[in-house]
Amino acid sequence: MRCDEARQLFDSYLDGELSPSLATELGVHRVRCAECRRSFALLEVSGHILTSDRDPVTVPADFSERLLACVELGEHSWPARVRRSLYFVGPLAAAAVIAMAFLGFFDRGRESRVAGVKVEPTHAETGALRPNAPSAIDREAAERAIDQWIGQMQNTRAARVQADESTPKAPDLTILQILEMLKDANEGAPELRHFPGADLHEPFGPPDEHPVDDEDVEDL
Amino acid sequence: MNVTEREATTSREREVQLIGRAREGDRIALRELVDLHKDRLFAFIWRMVRDHHEAEDICQDAFLKAFASLDTFSCEYRFSTWLFTIGYRVCLNRLRRKRPFSGDLDFSAMASEGGASPSATLESEEAGRVRASIWSAVDRLSPPQRATILLFYRNDFGCQEIARVLQLPLATVKSHLHRARARLRELLEALPDQDWSDFRNLSERAG
Repeated sequence: MRCDEARQLFDSYLDGELSPSLATELGVHRVRCAECRRSFALLEVSGHILTSDRDPVTVPADFSERLLACVELGEHSWPARVRRSLYFVGPLAAAAVIAMAFLGFFDRGRESRVAGVKVEPTHAETGALRPNAPSAIDREAAERAIDQWIGQMQNTRAARVQADESTPKAPDLTILQILEMLKDANEGAPELRHFPGADLHEPFGPPDEHPVDDEDVEDL
Repeated sequence: MNVTEREATTSREREVQLIGRAREGDRIALRELVDLHKDRLFAFIWRMVRDHHEAEDICQDAFLKAFASLDTFSCEYRFSTWLFTIGYRVCLNRLRRKRPFSGDLDFSAMASEGGASPSATLESEEAGRVRASIWSAVDRLSPPQRATILLFYRNDFGCQEIARVLQLPLATVKSHLHRARARLRELLEALPDQDWSDFRNLSERAG
């Protein structure tokens, strides 16, 4: 058996798939050839290490509990990292809310209990529309200005009504009377023949400039 | 039927019972299935992705997916084969999304993490170098080759079972195993003979 032939049989030998006769032949070659003996030893040793070396990491102790909690909650769609973080974030958030309530964080009407610092009311509490909106004092000034403007508008309207009442009203005229007056005013001017409605006896409506004949329809 | 075969049959029957109960939502059965397989699955996934948190995520996902589709599992196969198949698919998906693994790891730090050898003769500095070289070589293999080597040596899966887990033809699995071993041999042949002294003694004793 040559060295290249022997090396091709190494895998089958290690997997226990070699026939007894070929295994014997390979054994004989290994005894005779130092190079093949070394190569085979490397494979055996690497197999031994791969099989017996302990893993330097172990699965976390609470893995089973967390996994079963996920099974019960049906959280399969969430990434495991998010699920894992929720176990820490949830209690932390609850603790933070309790601590904030205890320290009077939500009680804006009084002084904060932390070092007696005066807490400014939030924009929501002042009624401002956005954080950079005017302060409460500016708001009052703006409201006064708006009231003043409304008062001015009301005064102006009342004055206009009074003025209208003192002015003589135009007499109520019918359309025919207005047309008569216009006719008198335009005495001597060319007649408005093509003005629709100028002649009250003509039917009033849009000019029919392009009447469609039956022949045209046939052409189409 | 010898003792080993009898034990295997008992364990198989027990597994089928557990799966039956787990399908009905029995929490204890689910817990037992997790405890039976979590260590080996986690170790396999960690060797594939080399990241503790990532391995935990994948392991958890694999179990959840397996439990979610437990009704489709055929008791004709081992539960571990099915579980490893799911775990391997999730691993591949994650590895595809991530950049390729460089293989440059601090194996000296890893050894001190608790990777004690079972044999007192393999504790020397030289033995540590050989061991580090072997695991480094494994890390540099392609994902299917790495999975083949890990399943074969660390999980005691046969080629047929590996083919089922990796969903590859048997010939491809054998080819992966052959190439992976050849690669390991190439890398190890480059090591100085001095590093092999401890292992040579061990090999001679075994022989």
